[in-house]
Amino acid sequence: MSSDAPPSSTKLFFREAIARALREEMSRDERVIVLGQDVAAFGGSYREFVGLYESFGPARVRNTPVAESAMIGIGVGAAAAGLRPLVSITYMDFLMLGLDPLVNYGAKARYKTGGQIEVPLVVKTTAGAKGQGVAHSQCIEAWLMAVPGLKVVAPSNAGDAYGLLKSALLERGPVVYVDHKRLFPTAGEVAAEETPVPIGKAALRRRGDDVTIATFSFMTRIAEQSAERLAAEGISCEIVDLRSLAPLDMATVCQSAGRTRALLTLEEGQLTCGVGAEVIFRARESLANLRTARVGALPAPVSSNPILEAASIPDAARVTDEVRRLLAER
Amino acid sequence: MQGIALLRAMLLIRTFEAALTRRRDHGFQLLSEGQEAVAVGLCSVLGARDQLLTSGRSIAPALARGLEPGLVMAELLGKAAGPCRGKGGRGHLAQRSAGFFGAHAVVAGNISIAAGVALAQQQQEPGTIVACLFGDGACGAGALHETLNIAALWKLPLLFVCDNNGYSVSTPRSEALAPESLSDLAAPFGIPAREVDGMDVVAVRDAAQELAERTRSGGGPSFLECRSERFASHSTAVRETRSAEEMRSLRKRCPIAGLAARLEAEGILAASERKRLEQEVERGVEEAIRFAEDAPYPDPSEAVSDVI
Amino acid sequence: MIYKLVVPGPIEDVEEVRVLEWHGKSGRTFEPGELIVELETYKAIVEVRAAQRGILREMLCAAGEWQKVGLPLAVMSDDGAEALPDSLAAAAELAVEFEIN
Repeated sequence: MSSDAPPSSTKLFFREAIARALREEMSRDERVIVLGQDVAAFGGSYREFVGLYESFGPARVRNTPVAESAMIGIGVGAAAAGLRPLVSITYMDFLMLGLDPLVNYGAKARYKTGGQIEVPLVVKTTAGAKGQGVAHSQCIEAWLMAVPGLKVVAPSNAGDAYGLLKSALLERGPVVYVDHKRLFPTAGEVAAEETPVPIGKAALRRRGDDVTIATFSFMTRIAEQSAERLAAEGISCEIVDLRSLAPLDMATVCQSAGRTRALLTLEEGQLTCGVGAEVIFRARESLANLRTARVGALPAPVSSNPILEAASIPDAARVTDEVRRLLAER
Repeated sequence: MQGIALLRAMLLIRTFEAALTRRRDHGFQLLSEGQEAVAVGLCSVLGARDQLLTSGRSIAPALARGLEPGLVMAELLGKAAGPCRGKGGRGHLAQRSAGFFGAHAVVAGNISIAAGVALAQQQQEPGTIVACLFGDGACGAGALHETLNIAALWKLPLLFVCDNNGYSVSTPRSEALAPESLSDLAAPFGIPAREVDGMDVVAVRDAAQELAERTRSGGGPSFLECRSERFASHSTAVRETRSAEEMRSLRKRCPIAGLAARLEAEGILAASERKRLEQEVERGVEEAIRFAEDAPYPDPSEAVSDVI
Repeated sequence: MIYKLVVPGPIEDVEEVRVLEWHGKSGRTFEPGELIVELETYKAIVEVRAAQRGILREMLCAAGEWQKVGLPLAVMSDDGAEALPDSLAAAAELAVEFEIN
């Protein structure tokens, strides 16, 4: 490159975006530490922590035993007492083991102590189905959205993985950062300058006029594939990547759905009490005359069986069918 | 802390809790009658920069830690003057600036939290310890065992204190826990442990002092089991299942009467001084109640403040 | 004959790679078995070794640059003096072996 101007972005693997956000914050603030299984010399199950142990040492990048409840509790307590920990929970399924300390203490500490104690904790976890079976496939972001005091973010690309994680590490209170197994093989542009992505702000991934697809995480890619197919049929899709599930950016969703008057939500998790249920209900509070639909997993556990997994989770075919059905409604 | 101060501290707890339960608006309380020596003996060895976390049975340790009785009463009565602005109540009573990181009402729920506080203190306040007080009822929980393991591995400056009153609500220890001696729970993790008579405040103090010093000087976690007796039911919401006769028999082991008798026998405390002490404590509790009664409730808008 | 050295595949889940290191400069002859270039996937390093003799003529992707599976990384040839074509569309792929570490 012959230009003297620094590039505004650089292409990184998804895992590198995560490591970069952590490296920056750990360099800036010695209170930031990483706890989790296989995070130290091994560099993380997805190699997302590579280099951190070598740079920051064993006191700040600690391997933990398989004890998610204690690990999250220790992360909560350490945050409450002045550190800024990131606890890595390799599979979102196992976050369930740590829900008591996360919800009953982490999310409530500031409230129950009348503001004396704050918990600047990030729980980083990976969701999603990728051939690993019923207890290693879940997307349970919706369960967390209902917890007062807890923020939940979910990037769909490397740039947002970096930006959202950075923001999460700078928050006053607890944040669950959820990425996805199928995002790790991807690469994407990441801001060259230190740039947090604001929590509570969705992003427009594609402009369109006929239907708004509100989605997040890996399903954003499914939405994009669906939009390409539908474009060939003359249907123009607008894709809103939520990025932040708690708090939700309903302003961006409603701005879009207010124009298209057709809102489809797309998630990999369950529909009952899911992200889509909340988004659509809230959209209807602001917008009359709105056609709506939800796409999510079938109401069943997600098997490791490739035929059954493929049948269970949404794909572009299912999304395009649902968009056509939605637009055919009066 | 010496004899008379220990006695005063236990008297304060007993008098405070009695005054509380006489009120119609006493609320849902877990009380420590009979167990005062555990809280007082433990707190007597904690320094200003140490931190204490407890279960929901928090009034005794909070007072023993030195929280102002008026502020504690305010919190219990739901007043904004309480350290948690009335939003935590007894189950979540906390005053971090006073070294009382706080209570947590989930049984065993504060144990891994305490280990996290210890991890932070290890880095930010070397030479301090964190004490975590829990009952025998917490000893069946995975949280305890997971935390014992990590505390030992990471040599956290954490003092585990089990106030073993022999009951988890109505369930005796023998029906809930396989080991008879709960201090044995620390052994598999290589954590040194002591078992002490929880009705003897001097014994509790001395054992706590020994373990606290060891933990404070980088020796890693320690475990103290205090064998105590609960003189009333588990909580104000639950009936007592033991017989009246058994309860009468238990009260003969009162830690307050026991210490007073010992101090009198040693010539440290005359009977008249004991009376004066009791009256002083009574007045202090009355003052605390007046303060709390006069304090205002939080505005209803605080139902949604300090959430996120 | 002119060859294109392409990103080998298929490698499970891999759509594109980043060039980690070239093991030789323009003009170098690679014998069968010799390591030509290391590529980074999202989780591993791929060693690309020559399975036929070839001379590296032009690197199309420098270290740090990205390329998709099946697309060209470099131009190679049997003879160092052979003229390079304008387009690689007709060029054969250099035979390689690859190992994922």
